[in-house]
Amino acid sequence: MFLGRVAGTVWSTVKWPQAQGVKLLLVRPYRLGDLPPGAVAAAGAAASEPTDDLVVCADTLDAGVGDDVIVAFGHAARVAVSEKLPPGSKPMVPIDAAVVAVVDKVEIPR
Amino acid sequence: MIRGTVIGQVWGTRKARGLDGQTLLLVAARDADGKPTGRVVVASDTLDARAGEDVTVAFGSGARNVLRPGPENRDLLCDAAIAAIVEGAG
Repeated sequence: MFLGRVAGTVWSTVKWPQAQGVKLLLVRPYRLGDLPPGAVAAAGAAASEPTDDLVVCADTLDAGVGDDVIVAFGHAARVAVSEKLPPGSKPMVPIDAAVVAVVDKVEIPR
Repeated sequence: MIRGTVIGQVWGTRKARGLDGQTLLLVAARDADGKPTGRVVVASDTLDARAGEDVTVAFGSGARNVLRPGPENRDLLCDAAIAAIVEGAG
């Protein structure tokens, strides 16, 4: 999983039918240098800061642009999305990243 | 797996049901020289790791095996988990 900020949305009409109705967001992962100064202190040193790619994520929690979110990858992402499907459905949606929480609080010791 | 340092904790009330009860820590990844790479991951914690401690983080089915070892754990919502608290590395 990673912590990121929602930067935008993506939509499409041509897609696999299993992906019908799944909202897609663009999320920018936080790097060490984007976090409060205590984060670099806890890690012991600053890092060179290349920019990460934006990640396209399925969203079932109605996150909006500017929200901080936690994103899970792989099977965990499909488990999160399948919570919204009928009980017993297998997580066969063609996605590999999903918003699993909208962040209220990040605590980094000073 | 990766090696990293715990730098904090993160909370959300609006979340997938599968995350209920999980403690989520922020871990700054380290490279071969022990320097932070800049990448920060969110990992589920069952070992009571504290900020500043070095840990290893397992991903994928390895992470699910930290939360509940065995073949019947594909219902778990977990793709990263703290697998060990590191005492030394050479």
